[in-house]
Amino acid sequence: MSWVDYIFVYAIPLIAVLMVPMNLPVGLIYLERRICAFIQDRAGPNRVDFPLIGRAGGLLPGGLLQPMADAIKLLTKEDITPARADKVLFNLAPLFSLVPPFVAFAVIPFSRPYAYTDTAGAVHPVAMQAANPEIGMLFILAVLSLSAYGIAFGGWASNSRYSLLGSLRASAQMISYEVGMGLALLSVFMMTGALNLQDIVTYQAEHGWYVLTLPGALAFLMFMICAFAENNRLPFDMSECESELVGGFHTEYSAMKFGMFFQGEYIAMTAMSAIMVALFFGGWHIWGMEPNPATGWAASSLWVVLFSIAVFFGKLLVFIWLYIQVRWTLPRFRYDQLMDLGWKGVIPISIGILVFQAIWLAWKEGNF
Amino acid sequence: MVAADQHSDHASQSQPTPDDPTESLWVQAYIPAIVKGLANTLRRIVFSDRFTIEYDGTGDKSDPKKHYQTREGYRGEHYLKRDERGEVKCVACFMCAAACPAVCIHIEAEDAPDDWPDRDKRPKRFEIDLLRCIYCGYCEEACPVDAIALSKTYNIIATTREQKVYDMRKLLELGDREAKGKSIGPAEGDRRGPRPTMRG
Repeated sequence: MSWVDYIFVYAIPLIAVLMVPMNLPVGLIYLERRICAFIQDRAGPNRVDFPLIGRAGGLLPGGLLQPMADAIKLLTKEDITPARADKVLFNLAPLFSLVPPFVAFAVIPFSRPYAYTDTAGAVHPVAMQAANPEIGMLFILAVLSLSAYGIAFGGWASNSRYSLLGSLRASAQMISYEVGMGLALLSVFMMTGALNLQDIVTYQAEHGWYVLTLPGALAFLMFMICAFAENNRLPFDMSECESELVGGFHTEYSAMKFGMFFQGEYIAMTAMSAIMVALFFGGWHIWGMEPNPATGWAASSLWVVLFSIAVFFGKLLVFIWLYIQVRWTLPRFRYDQLMDLGWKGVIPISIGILVFQAIWLAWKEGNF
Repeated sequence: MVAADQHSDHASQSQPTPDDPTESLWVQAYIPAIVKGLANTLRRIVFSDRFTIEYDGTGDKSDPKKHYQTREGYRGEHYLKRDERGEVKCVACFMCAAACPAVCIHIEAEDAPDDWPDRDKRPKRFEIDLLRCIYCGYCEEACPVDAIALSKTYNIIATTREQKVYDMRKLLELGDREAKGKSIGPAEGDRRGPRPTMRG
């Protein structure tokens, strides 16, 4: 392989994937603030427009550069570390919140593979995916669990009761809901027989989206509940609880360290949405985008591959929208209700789906 | 529109509640309630009017879409009126200063010129400290010659404390503006001002 091939096979997919968690939260913060404002019959941020072109004569909505203004504010604000805080953990916690969701993006397949022929004549499947390990989904679960440390450290190191209570609740919540999430995912793995995300998506492209089957729809519902809980978004934002715990685990954080928690939350939200799209909603597949029967999935034109990226992002945006809208629609659960729902609701139902799925698959293959 | 929605929500008593143990599992799982809530917020996003009014320091203050219209009886920035000669109407009787519960009016009197037959005194210095003022309007009520009044102006902006202490020149200037009708009155027949429907 020459250096040009390295660029096409490794560098471009890597950079393209990295751009997603880098840039999406910026837009999401704007989107969240505007949607919330419209729901509450307000205007929302609409003053910070582009220099020179402004709103381009009414073509653009106002305030598109508001996230930039927010970022400048966060970067220039005074960064306070409480006097009796554990300095090391206090500084480490925002990183634990920000980095794991970033890493999770590495294995998400944003497009279908494109057969790239290098200068030596060898064919490489290239997709908008940084890495394609066989344990794909397991990797995501492992990495995303790490973000619980960010919340636990943040609350513990702040030396504040509010923070500690918030992080205690959130840690317990994340650990509880990870069980239900894993169980809900098992039925996906059982159906597709793969952990590799590209394989899971390809399976759905060939056999129909998993959410369109009965166990798939139920598993998706369970997974979605767990995903909201994992991301500490309303109605499960036990970690923050503005009405009771001031700001929860990040009460004592200021300036960009708070910004990193904030950004981490949005990136995790995007990552979870991407996982939901890939596991249940057929990833980059849309009807009418079938492979050439003679050549299979790998041989498709570059335009089809680019279109598959657009399809994936379209689905991604639907879930992000849902995240935001749910936040401004539903009130927060009480802590005991949350635990009830997790242990007595989600986990038994997920096990039920699993058993049903197992029996159904065995019956379909005639193994009874 | 908002009020009508809320009213109809309360009016329909027959709708199923998730807390009712006799309801079906579907209802008890809050699923219809959540879907209804999401539909409501989606309707808000797509169709709703905007309730708030954008603050716009440069816009036309008489435009109810750009400037909040205070309701009847609102007490804002003070001003002093002029008499027929164009001189200050105040007779330096100190009634307003005595009535003021916040002790924010400071007057120094001097003898009026001999060719002013209607009064003995006039104010040499008349200052209102708006940082102390509680906008109770007692000064306006106490004034025997109707010289001081409170306008409807609510956006009183200053960058230093000194700017918030209004002297007689400033108060008369505001009075002139008020006399020309440049101040903002209440909107006709609407206590809260009309609701704009624009978005931006």
